[in-house]
Amino acid sequence: MSSIVFERVTKRFENGQEALSEISVEFASGSMTFLTGHSGAGKSTFLRLLIGAEAVTRGQIYVDDVDISRLGARRMPWYRRNVGVVFQDHHLLPEHNVFDNIALPLRIKHFAEREVSSRVRGALGRVELRGKEHLMPGQLSTGEQQRVGIARAVVGRPKILLADEPTGNLDPDLARSVMELFCQFNELGTTVVIASHDIGLIESMQTPTLNLTAGRIAAVNGDLNAS
Amino acid sequence: MLRESAAAQRGRSRQSRPKQWPAPAFRVRDWFADHRRAIAETFEFVSLRLASSLFVWLLVGIALALPAALRLAQLNFVALDDGWQGQPGLSVYFAVGAEADQLAAVEALLRESPSVVAAQLTDADQALQEFMAASADSSSLTAALEMLSDNPLPASLQVSVASEIPLEDLATLRAEVLQSGGVDDVIIERTWLERLRNLTRLVERLGLILGALFALGAVLVTAASVRLAIESRLDALRVLSLVGATRAQIRRPFLYFGVFYGLGGAVVAAMLLAITLTAIEVPLTELLGSYDIPVHVQGFGVAFLLALLAVGMLLGVIGALLAVRQRIRGVQDAI
Repeated sequence: MSSIVFERVTKRFENGQEALSEISVEFASGSMTFLTGHSGAGKSTFLRLLIGAEAVTRGQIYVDDVDISRLGARRMPWYRRNVGVVFQDHHLLPEHNVFDNIALPLRIKHFAEREVSSRVRGALGRVELRGKEHLMPGQLSTGEQQRVGIARAVVGRPKILLADEPTGNLDPDLARSVMELFCQFNELGTTVVIASHDIGLIESMQTPTLNLTAGRIAAVNGDLNAS
Repeated sequence: MLRESAAAQRGRSRQSRPKQWPAPAFRVRDWFADHRRAIAETFEFVSLRLASSLFVWLLVGIALALPAALRLAQLNFVALDDGWQGQPGLSVYFAVGAEADQLAAVEALLRESPSVVAAQLTDADQALQEFMAASADSSSLTAALEMLSDNPLPASLQVSVASEIPLEDLATLRAEVLQSGGVDDVIIERTWLERLRNLTRLVERLGLILGALFALGAVLVTAASVRLAIESRLDALRVLSLVGATRAQIRRPFLYFGVFYGLGGAVVAAMLLAITLTAIEVPLTELLGSYDIPVHVQGFGVAFLLALLAVGMLLGVIGALLAVRQRIRGVQDAI
């Protein structure tokens, strides 16, 4: 379980555009939160700051009391090994099969092959892709590719799970089953932050929501400390 | 809503907490596993793009072959030079009809010199007999010589000097002998050796300059090829970075690309050299045979080939490092 704290975080790009302004928010360990807002509201930037893909302009981001906005290039990989990320466009390796795509985080962390095999098959079962481990990503439907991305994000049992529009390409039924998956991981203690603009789905989940508008916190619903 | 006082309170409390994300313990087994995986990936990448890999090997091989050939030439010039170290000397040629006392005076002058080890006089009659014996199978030449009333050949004196005698001392001795009566010419037999040494030095310099230029070429070819490999895998590298691969884990396969390209290039260079040596063997034998120099190419052995492989590998790694330093740095931030 990991707590996440944004303290007066501002992100301004080189072109002068301010994607996030003075964001302060705390996600408790083991919480699950939706990040909502229109396109360009700053949701993706929020997540990219959290995985260290962007540097903050001002402020600090604490994960388990470590200021990850100041982590050097040497330490950043160690942190990222504790974060599972699901992207809307999957980010799968096209020349590797499903099994190898899911196994990637485990092999990076030097898990023994027996453990890799066991965990990957477990993750495949959770995302209902058992039997498809030898297929290449190009042979899968969009929904199946998304589930491979989710399996890869959770196979290492990360402390934090981030998802950027994970249901954007899915039909409503599949979107709901993916959300249920996130809930299951959250129940195991993973801190989950999901960026989405699927209002109907979010409202049905009864989960705290942080609404961003033009890089600022516009509204907070549920048990969440933010300003 | 989060209050300012709460944030400040949290900030104060964090000042005493650890600032760095904990790193996993280093394990040698993991390090070897990473290398094994990188080598496997490199094999897979190279074998899937065999045609372009062969092209890179050929380019690197050509770049390595010329400096290697010059190095081989230099080694053989040095060997030739070493083979002649014990035979420096002077050849004194007397004027036709030189008197016996003139020959004796010059011989005595030379024998008194501390530089001279031995002196062998061949008078005009001996020279004629030796020439007749040598040309016995040419009846027309023998008949022509018999028709002459006087001996046309001069007397000569073959002088051996100590091998450590510098060329300047030989030149002084030559000038001294030339002033003696009856002497027509004095040839320093070391002159051609000096020319060979000059040639060796030239080849050495040329080898260094061309070696540096062609090594740069090999490095740039490898760097460009590795860079292409990186560009073709940027998406995969971003995913690797995303799941926590360290910079070393990301760049390692590309360093092995450099090793593969360099080693492959060195093998091609060795093959090109072997083919060239085989091709020039016959004309070289004929050319050197006319100077009574036995043909035996030295230096193209195991040590030379190992050195060639090592140089190829080193240049490949340098090229790969150049490409990796330029391109990989931004990958971690470009997810």
